[in-house]
Amino acid sequence: MSHSPVEAPVNPGATTAAPAHAAPTHTTPAQTVPAGSELRRGATSRQRGGLPRLDARQLVAPLALAAILFVFTLLSDQFLRADNLAAVLNQSALLALAAVAMTLVVRAGGIDLSLGVAIDLSALAAAALIADGYYAWVAIAGGLVFGAVVGLVNALLIVGLRIPPFLATLSVWFVGTSVQQLLTGGGAPIYLSGPRVPAEFAFLGGTGLVAGVPVAIAAALAVAVLGWALLETTRFGRALTAAGEQPRAAAIAGRRVGALTFSAYVIASLLAAVAGVLLAARTNGFVPASGQLYVLDAIGAVFIGATLSRIGRPSVPGTLVGVLIFALLANGMNLIGLSFFWQGLGRGVALLLILLAGVVLAREGAGGPLRRLLGPARR
Amino acid sequence: MSTTAPERQGPGAGAPAAAPARSGAQPRPIRTSGWASYAGYGVVALVLALFAVLSPVFTDPANVASIINQATVTAIAGMGLAVVVIVGGDDVVEGGIDLSVGATAAVAGSVAAVLVSAGLGPAPAVLAALGVALLIGTANGVAVGLGLRPLLATLATMGIATSLDLVVSQNMKIALEGQPFTWLRDAGGLGVSGAVVVLLVVAAAFIWVFHRTRLGVNAYAVGQNPTAARVAGLNPARYRFASYLVSSGLAGVAGILLASRLSAAVPGIGTQILLDIILVAYMSTVFSRRLVITIGGTLLAALFVTALSNGMTLAGIASQWVGAVKGALILAVLTVVVLRSKAGNR
Repeated sequence: MSHSPVEAPVNPGATTAAPAHAAPTHTTPAQTVPAGSELRRGATSRQRGGLPRLDARQLVAPLALAAILFVFTLLSDQFLRADNLAAVLNQSALLALAAVAMTLVVRAGGIDLSLGVAIDLSALAAAALIADGYYAWVAIAGGLVFGAVVGLVNALLIVGLRIPPFLATLSVWFVGTSVQQLLTGGGAPIYLSGPRVPAEFAFLGGTGLVAGVPVAIAAALAVAVLGWALLETTRFGRALTAAGEQPRAAAIAGRRVGALTFSAYVIASLLAAVAGVLLAARTNGFVPASGQLYVLDAIGAVFIGATLSRIGRPSVPGTLVGVLIFALLANGMNLIGLSFFWQGLGRGVALLLILLAGVVLAREGAGGPLRRLLGPARR
Repeated sequence: MSTTAPERQGPGAGAPAAAPARSGAQPRPIRTSGWASYAGYGVVALVLALFAVLSPVFTDPANVASIINQATVTAIAGMGLAVVVIVGGDDVVEGGIDLSVGATAAVAGSVAAVLVSAGLGPAPAVLAALGVALLIGTANGVAVGLGLRPLLATLATMGIATSLDLVVSQNMKIALEGQPFTWLRDAGGLGVSGAVVVLLVVAAAFIWVFHRTRLGVNAYAVGQNPTAARVAGLNPARYRFASYLVSSGLAGVAGILLASRLSAAVPGIGTQILLDIILVAYMSTVFSRRLVITIGGTLLAALFVTALSNGMTLAGIASQWVGAVKGALILAVLTVVVLRSKAGNR
């Protein structure tokens, strides 16, 4: 653990407030951030919170969820049925895993565009090892190792070479996509024929039930609970949050910011690897670039979830709300027979509106930002 | 952070704004001198020389012309993205970024192709295509103006534009023929296409504006230190809004050029070109002594990246490697930038 109690009192603002969740952003920015950058980011939503009242923005995501439920219940009589909702949960399990992973990284002040590569490479490794006749546990372990390698590379680039997370993980996305094509001979899918799949692997893919729940849902729930506990109840989680929101303050307070960030990327890619192994088991094989689809939705879910927090901080429960919004929206649009072509529009508009409502309501009202846009100067 | 006096000269003085607190303790890049300033050019020359040795066809005038033709799309769209990053600041999470450029280019190409094949004249078709592109830019500008992070706002509009592209094209390839599109594809004189003429005009205009006029200095000032720019009487919000319009407009132009070159609007091409566009815009920093994104550098980077793909194909390297090399290239570029800025800060 990076927390060092001896040095902690160096910055009383960051440490005494740490147990309260809203801590680091409440410390006066001027003390902890160099001049220039604190003023520059004063206008972002992150520091806008901290007011004692309950923000209207916190209601945006739940209201959106309710609106989606309401609208599709009206439009389709199959929507609000137990088996359909169970199917939605089952379909959203992998996205939930990826989104919890993304939550961790965003909490640590970064972003990971290469999560899809971690999903893909772990699915590829697992499927290839099963196809070669290895035991299921070898395939699962191999998948997790492949995924973790992606995280290690990210962490080395971001922490070691100090490359900005967005560009570092974008490069890993490029390289990883290329690696997939090289390993699959130009992008040929791997299909596993039924009899060759070990029972344990098939168990992961959907035949298995853990306490009456499909394995994927159980895994997503377990990871969500663990992720929540890690971020919100442990010293590691508090340190990680501080390192993400106020790296300089966290460093002054004696946290090892580099190690914390490093661990965030590795844990995230491991979680993505779990999703990848489940994906391979579920689809009985591997289709190149299938993991990429989860990345953008995961980012969207994390930031929808962040609107649930008064200070715009991503959290696991919020992320799960975001995942549910995406999953229910996709399911509902399918049920009412909306063409695939239009579905991206629906998702994009929903994402944009929820996020916009979040930032606008986090301010004093809709009038302020408009005036600012048209007025002589930004506040 | 220890800073030296010349970095604090205010807007346009050449010092990019303080490294954002969230992305770690990065030193601020400053003016560098000596061999490091030319490292970018050196690497480019080395790689090009390598390809010239590996493949005699590489330096053939016809091949050079085809490289320039192919570079037009990423160069023009890349300049648009460069404008957004210049004005929004180069922190990729909080600063300026436009992820919707690729999808905007794709939808513009589709709109033009659909309207032309529906019998509309080329002028209204092109205007409609640019109009759709500018609408997406307006959405970006408004969302960012309201306070949404550019990364998220343009992520959402990227999804919207990708979907619009599918809706407009019905996921089918739509032929785009007839003047002026064949002119853009073929005849620009001197063995280059009309698209190259468009590129030269656009590049000359933007290089002039951003590197020779007060407007350009102001744009850099807004991106590098919005507070100082505001104190100096500029309105950063307006600059930001305009930058997203410019970016989408240029993406629309690039999309029409792309559809002209392929003689058709190809659905789903947006995500393919997005990564190249981001690559060339950020790669422009290696051509800058001050390690900032420049319009001219973007043009050079687009030519280099296209030459790289071309050279690898000519040298008989499997296409699967191209992505890996591009990824490695971004990393090399960024490492050079980070190392150089560290060295300069001591």
